[in-house]
Amino acid sequence: MAPKPHRVLLDRVSGYADEAAAYMRRRRASRRPFARLYLSGGRAEDHAADSVAGGELFVAAGKLIELAGKRPKP
Amino acid sequence: MPDDAATGTVSGDAAEGALAFLTEMTPDLRGAAIVGPGGAVLAASGDSDRWGEDVVALFAVADRAGGEPVEQVHIGAEQGEVFALRHAGLAIIAVTERFPLASLTFFDMRSLLRDLVAEKPLAAFPLPEDGKNDQRRAGGDD
Repeated sequence: MAPKPHRVLLDRVSGYADEAAAYMRRRRASRRPFARLYLSGGRAEDHAADSVAGGELFVAAGKLIELAGKRPKP
Repeated sequence: MPDDAATGTVSGDAAEGALAFLTEMTPDLRGAAIVGPGGAVLAASGDSDRWGEDVVALFAVADRAGGEPVEQVHIGAEQGEVFALRHAGLAIIAVTERFPLASLTFFDMRSLLRDLVAEKPLAAFPLPEDGKNDQRRAGGDD
């Protein structure tokens, strides 16, 4: 017996949601800390956390993150 | 610090309005500041003096690392993310939760600075009582 039409639709939407959730999980797992600078002319450079410049950038960013604190609850 | 191309002056009220608007538009935002020429804090969510010092330090480090004045900085750490950009003598800095929509965050920040420099902030950033701004979301502020 063929499934009811609304079941097909629900399964499809559910499948899309699962795909999106899996993408977000992969993104979170694969994304490492980074320091990226954008220069004139659209150039960009990444600085590794274990480099001297990268370390300084992370220290400076850490102070700002600490200063901002936690997100206020709505 | 903010770039050298300072244009005009921006009032603290205008900067406060812009910051309130950014807060409204960015659900992941933890804190932010707008800094004027010379490192003066025009608006900040919290201790203005500390924001001023830490923003100056961030841009100093970034300029040294980049070998020239940088336009934007994006740092993603374990505890959160920092966005900073400069335009026409002003700088705006935002600290967010991890994994925000980075391009959208930079777009909003850049738009705010451009509107501030164009001296149309208060008219452009109305904050209705329901907390939504349909005019700006529709892109029709001109």
